[in-house]
Amino acid sequence: MQAFDCAIVGAGPAGMSAAIVLARAGVQVAVLDRAPRAGGQVFRSAANSPVPDVAALGSDYSSGAALISRFEESGAAHFAGADAWHLGDDGRILFSHEGDTRELRCREMLLCPGAMERPMPIPGWTKPGVMTAGAAQVMLKSDAVVAEGAVFAGSGPLLYLIVAQYLRLGVPVAALVDTTPRRHYFDAAPQMFRALGHIRQLSKGLSLLREIRASGVAVHQFAERLEVIGGNKAEGVRFVATGKHHEIAADTVFLHHGVQPNLNMTRAMDLDHHWNPEQMCWQVSVDDFGQSSIAHVSVAGDSAGIVGADGAQAAGRLVALNILNRLGHLSQVERDQKADKDLSYLSSLKPFRRFIDCLYHPTDALRLPRDPETLVCRCEEQSLDDLRKGFEQGARDPNALKSLTRCGMGPCQGRQCGHVVAGLLAKWRGENPETVGYYRLRSPQRLLTLDELSRYGAVQAEAAE
Amino acid sequence: MFRSLQDHNRDRVTLTINGQQVAAREGQTVWSAMAVSGQVETRKAALSGDARSAYCAMGVCFECMVNIDGLPNQQACLRRVSEGMNVTTQHIAEDSEASDAGL
Repeated sequence: MQAFDCAIVGAGPAGMSAAIVLARAGVQVAVLDRAPRAGGQVFRSAANSPVPDVAALGSDYSSGAALISRFEESGAAHFAGADAWHLGDDGRILFSHEGDTRELRCREMLLCPGAMERPMPIPGWTKPGVMTAGAAQVMLKSDAVVAEGAVFAGSGPLLYLIVAQYLRLGVPVAALVDTTPRRHYFDAAPQMFRALGHIRQLSKGLSLLREIRASGVAVHQFAERLEVIGGNKAEGVRFVATGKHHEIAADTVFLHHGVQPNLNMTRAMDLDHHWNPEQMCWQVSVDDFGQSSIAHVSVAGDSAGIVGADGAQAAGRLVALNILNRLGHLSQVERDQKADKDLSYLSSLKPFRRFIDCLYHPTDALRLPRDPETLVCRCEEQSLDDLRKGFEQGARDPNALKSLTRCGMGPCQGRQCGHVVAGLLAKWRGENPETVGYYRLRSPQRLLTLDELSRYGAVQAEAAE
Repeated sequence: MFRSLQDHNRDRVTLTINGQQVAAREGQTVWSAMAVSGQVETRKAALSGDARSAYCAMGVCFECMVNIDGLPNQQACLRRVSEGMNVTTQHIAEDSEASDAGL
């Protein structure tokens, strides 16, 4: 089988930026992405938006269209609708494509699985009508579908962005329930001065909040004890804010308190990961050029630590330069010369990131469940109480707890409960999440039918040209 | 209440969601077609039978698994609508048995 020089999994800002550099250097590159069009989550449908008034989504989003067209014209072999479900350290990738099973081989592998939202296991979070703020974004971007009269609850830039987008589009919003604790503003204040180098991003964030305030939509700050109320579907939220109890009716509740790396792919490859205490999440351990613990496997973008769309583009270009060096297209001196600008940009982002991470630091009250009945594992319906019992029976790490209770054994393969289970065990053991560890994951990373497996074919690098 | 911001009727396909005829835009996800038609219940939880619905809409929560044209465990947020598609809420419990018909 004719191997590709490089295969990239994920066509978001990191994957697209890397592919452009590689393809322009004449490298045979394959890009696998699940979506019908490149863009990733942040630039989803940016090149073909169904939203009639796309300007309402903001200029950051619209700027994605230019990157998408540069990627599409780069000459990289783009497999749209390709869902990778096995990544081998032997350079073998198995993926699902148009109902068939496909295999390709590559010399260098670049993983750009991006981020997902941090699960928010508050009481009632499994009721129909409860979604994430990211879900509201996905529905708006890909299908121009919005929820009227929804409550947005939680903390973080993405939450304020979607509320502002809704308001610009004239979509009524019931309330914004902000769970950012008062003390975070004090904690983050010293970081803000260091972040002033990125005044544009800072003022953009502040103007979103101003815009929401000016619209007259109800904003409740410093909300605590947030829960979703309702019977077999969401009927609203209940919380305490500045000493008062509140109840707001809504049939749709969008939750958010930050994003975390999407670990499924990198964990299944058994790459080295470490715990990031500032972002309260696991991330892949990589060097400045995105090289992981397996030399020919690199990672760029949010899955190696949340950096945002601009940071991901810089990271993607850097990884591509290093891969060009590894493939013999670029000397190390040339690599370093070309890398200089992006390396300084990424390092200049750090103070800004630290400010954001400090201000919107995920609180234990939202990161971990408090009510014994609250489900942690949504697939196998394991509650906090069930997991606590498993722990008391001697299951000290995520894999032992999984064997005992079935948490993490459902179709999502622990994507939702993994961080929560590790967090709970760390709390109960009084130890660092690093010591506690994470689920051992395996391929396949999606649900497959035998019928699909039987329709197998290899993809040759030559044929894809 | 979910609604579409699109006001035109171009590129329409018709599908069936739990017996209800629904018009959707070609290329639209099955989940958003369900949401706009007011049918948000995607599956019943396997143990309790509780109603569930899409949570992440981007393929990482697996809550939106529905039955499409007889095939279960289809993520409604990742699948696209097509003419004549038949979508039903998935109800697979612990004692459900898979059929080997057609194998």
